[in-house]
Amino acid sequence: MPKDLETLTREKKVETDFQSSEVWAKVAGKAVYGIDLILPGMLYGKILRSPHPHARIKSIDTSAAESISGVRTVITAENFSCKPYGIVVDDELPLACGRVRYIGDEVAAVAAVDWKTAEEAAKAIKVEYEVLPSVFKPEEALAEGSPQLHEDFPGNVAWQRDLERGDADAAFGDADLVVESAFSIPAIHAAYLEPIACVAVNDNYTGLTLHTALQSPDSVRTIVAKVLEMPLSRVRVVGPVMGGGFGGKVYGNLNLYIISSMLAIKTGSPVKMLLTREEEFIAGRPMIAAEIKLKMALCRDGTILARESDIITDNGAYSAQAPWVSKTISERNDSVYRIPNIKTRVRLVYTNKVPTGQYRSYGNQAANFATESLIDMAAKKLGIDPLQLRLLNCTRKGDLTVHGLQIKSCALADCLQAAADEIGWEKKIRGRGYGLSAAIHANGSIVFDKNFRGASALARLELDGRVTIFTGEQDYGQGAHTAFTIIAARALGLPPGLVTIQSRDTLISPFSLGALAMRQTTIGGRAVQLAAEKLREKIEITAVEAGSESTGLREGAVNGSSANLIDLAALARYYHGKTSGLNLVGEGKYVPEESDYDESGYGNISVTYSFAAHAAEVEIDRTTGELTLHRIVAVHDSGRIINLLSAIGQVYGGVTQGLGMSCYEGYLFEAGRVANSTFADYKIPTSLDVPVIDYQFVERGDPEGPYGSKGLGEIVMVPVLGAIANAVADAAGDWVTDLPITAEKIYQLMAGWECE
Amino acid sequence: MSYLKALNLRQAVALLRGNPGRIRVVAGATDLSLQEMPQVALDITALPETTGLETADGFFSLGAALTHSEIANSHPVRHKATALTEACASIGSPQIRNVGTLGGNVINAAPAADAAVALVALGAGAVMINLEGKTREEAVEDLYAGFNQTIIDSGSEIMLKLVIRPCAANEGSSFERFASRKALALPMVNGAARVEVVDGFFRSVRLVLAPINPAPTRLLNLEEKLQGAPVTEETYKKIETEAAAEVEVRASLLRCTAQYRSHLIGVLAARVVRKAAERALERK
Repeated sequence: MPKDLETLTREKKVETDFQSSEVWAKVAGKAVYGIDLILPGMLYGKILRSPHPHARIKSIDTSAAESISGVRTVITAENFSCKPYGIVVDDELPLACGRVRYIGDEVAAVAAVDWKTAEEAAKAIKVEYEVLPSVFKPEEALAEGSPQLHEDFPGNVAWQRDLERGDADAAFGDADLVVESAFSIPAIHAAYLEPIACVAVNDNYTGLTLHTALQSPDSVRTIVAKVLEMPLSRVRVVGPVMGGGFGGKVYGNLNLYIISSMLAIKTGSPVKMLLTREEEFIAGRPMIAAEIKLKMALCRDGTILARESDIITDNGAYSAQAPWVSKTISERNDSVYRIPNIKTRVRLVYTNKVPTGQYRSYGNQAANFATESLIDMAAKKLGIDPLQLRLLNCTRKGDLTVHGLQIKSCALADCLQAAADEIGWEKKIRGRGYGLSAAIHANGSIVFDKNFRGASALARLELDGRVTIFTGEQDYGQGAHTAFTIIAARALGLPPGLVTIQSRDTLISPFSLGALAMRQTTIGGRAVQLAAEKLREKIEITAVEAGSESTGLREGAVNGSSANLIDLAALARYYHGKTSGLNLVGEGKYVPEESDYDESGYGNISVTYSFAAHAAEVEIDRTTGELTLHRIVAVHDSGRIINLLSAIGQVYGGVTQGLGMSCYEGYLFEAGRVANSTFADYKIPTSLDVPVIDYQFVERGDPEGPYGSKGLGEIVMVPVLGAIANAVADAAGDWVTDLPITAEKIYQLMAGWECE
Repeated sequence: MSYLKALNLRQAVALLRGNPGRIRVVAGATDLSLQEMPQVALDITALPETTGLETADGFFSLGAALTHSEIANSHPVRHKATALTEACASIGSPQIRNVGTLGGNVINAAPAADAAVALVALGAGAVMINLEGKTREEAVEDLYAGFNQTIIDSGSEIMLKLVIRPCAANEGSSFERFASRKALALPMVNGAARVEVVDGFFRSVRLVLAPINPAPTRLLNLEEKLQGAPVTEETYKKIETEAAAEVEVRASLLRCTAQYRSHLIGVLAARVVRKAAERALERK
């Protein structure tokens, strides 16, 4: 049974066990998600998608669709300008302009009075195609003479980065040992339970309102306004409760929002659209697949001298956030250890497949699989214990890493030791495999926008003495608003039950980058803290001005139970009367001045960094290769934990997603068609597949984050992959280097089969 | 589409008669939405004739509309037709097992339907009734007519029950499956065996593996070779190599390569025979 606030307060567990009221609405089945929304007079929109991986559109005939009773409008590329847009790279169009580039590409859309009519009408649109040669593998797309996807991107390279720090070539020349291997990671679906859904409403008075749950509503409305050529202030996003996002709803599905908006503009009626689960798979934005070639130079004593990587990421037909994800894959893991010399090449390559985006941790987890496997490969060759090799090289507090990250707090070595101790590193059970893995993740990376480094928030004293926090940062189940509530309550000296977080309307919330890059608690939370502190200051000043004998804010302040406390409701009304209607408001802005980077990307790209070490214990059935996961130990340095219950939830969820990516998940393609476009065929772990998960938090604090806290939401997933890969290798004798690690691949490895 | 639920057999037959060409019998209907929907679905899960679980004339008589959960929780079935218990307990998820039925699992005719594989290994028969009220009995293994097809016309015939001869004291049965996750996954391979052991030798073995053909496949050559074979490690080794050699399997992009599936056929064949033999020996 959930405990009420009073009980929790009495037990002095308010901050560890408190959950925001939205959690209880979800548990009770009362939360209203985007997919539930119904507005009066609403129409339903459906998209006609390309059946071909690559084709020229010769003609589109919408007349049959338009003549169906109940159809309100049919739109094609003619309703938009054919100027590509994008998040990082401009290569995308709301509806195809003369050419389709993957099976699922948007060709036309209809709005009708119900789903069935809309579906029928979409099918009735006649499109004549001239099929073009396709390319599905990035290495083939890079070859000369390969079909070209975009005129503006010759050679099918959407984005590329070549980077050298230090002198890697010289280091490789001096090394006692060079280890190398190639790793392969498939595209991954973020597998949120609620498919992407939105209702677009347009009227001439207020402009365009999109009702949709997004991790980053302000970023999305900026792009939607630009593509529709509308003033930004005329585009508003109102968020219902979100049924999971895991990075997949930072930008969600931009074409869906733009198309539904255009249908609403054309018809003058609200238009609801959603992706079916199959559409999520074939036309969503899974995290990019990657081929990672790694080489590492070491001294005999285990000191890492250099690392070289050559990475090809499979963009699919359009780029979404794939350049940023590619950058994280290529770079972030370099700062887990003290690696003085780096040489990196990463190329993002177009293929005629589903466009890609991101997933929890931005590819850091994909890179962890590769880099942490290579660490163990090196340990094996050197005859050094993998734990000792990690402890010898791991990043520590005070370090300036090879990419210029300033490590102001870091308990990575303690995390590694604790994970090893807990899994039984020194008393391993015979026949079982053990693996370790380490990770770093940025808290609010500024690579998205160098000129927008922090966050802001408003704290408002309501007339009843309660406090409302206005923030653009989003809670989509990860507990950000629970954390904000606790942070604000602590700064104000009030019980958390008196604080409400308001974030779901871009018209009234401060502009924000939103829930991405693990920036909510650290960056958003700090802004909340500053706003609450400012409000508290104003309350105290106003109390003096009002002639109050006391300026103390303590728990219970509003009910006047204690004589020397301020009656907040009375004070709010005093100020309200004095100003003819204003509320006491605290503004908080948090701008980490030190966050910066140069043209090469060198610099402190984030205010602080979280660290983690995971350990896995596995067992393999030697007759089949069947893998049994006994236990994952997750030890985290996320600074001081603000809300233990949410933190534990993050660990359970993130570790489960990590093991899903390790052992079960991945897109499969047949000639560009997604072969596993349902949850029956795209396997995520069931509850029976999840092992015992043990968590530990090494709470050393942090000078930057609110009350010493750091982020946790993304890094929880990262080290799982390396830990499982290394545990499997420990048991099987060699590494499975392409995800997912299936029984078949383990058996092939042990039986010495050549892959078919 | 209309969905009708018959309360007794006479009503069910009358509804079938009254809707020729547009009606289909369903029992659980968990896979119906994956197929072409009939105009009329006739639910037969409330008939006394399809929901009994009894022993008559020395045979188990299992109503075709018993759910997988009901079968899996039946003590007599667990005791004397263990393979069926194990198969029913491993189908889908708890929700599916609470709705899906034994007869439905057979008539849906998926090539690796878990319950059907166990039923064929156990040598089960199926009893059907037609529009004239005539019943017929067929061996479950003879019901298959092709991929996802049986010889039963769901528009004019109702499967009433499945009959199984319970295992005697010197008999045992076993079922096992190998899939990519622990629930809600079609198996790469599943298999079941029923064996009779006399004085340390196999007197008879029924060994079924899937998916190999549209129907659960008995390994007839191996069954014959095992008659009179000693219950020893060498025999299990032989089963492993010969089972894989007897059948040809296909690769599946979604599940596994043919090479691995072939290997699993051998491993599972040996495992289910071994487990069934152990049970036969335990029961004595």
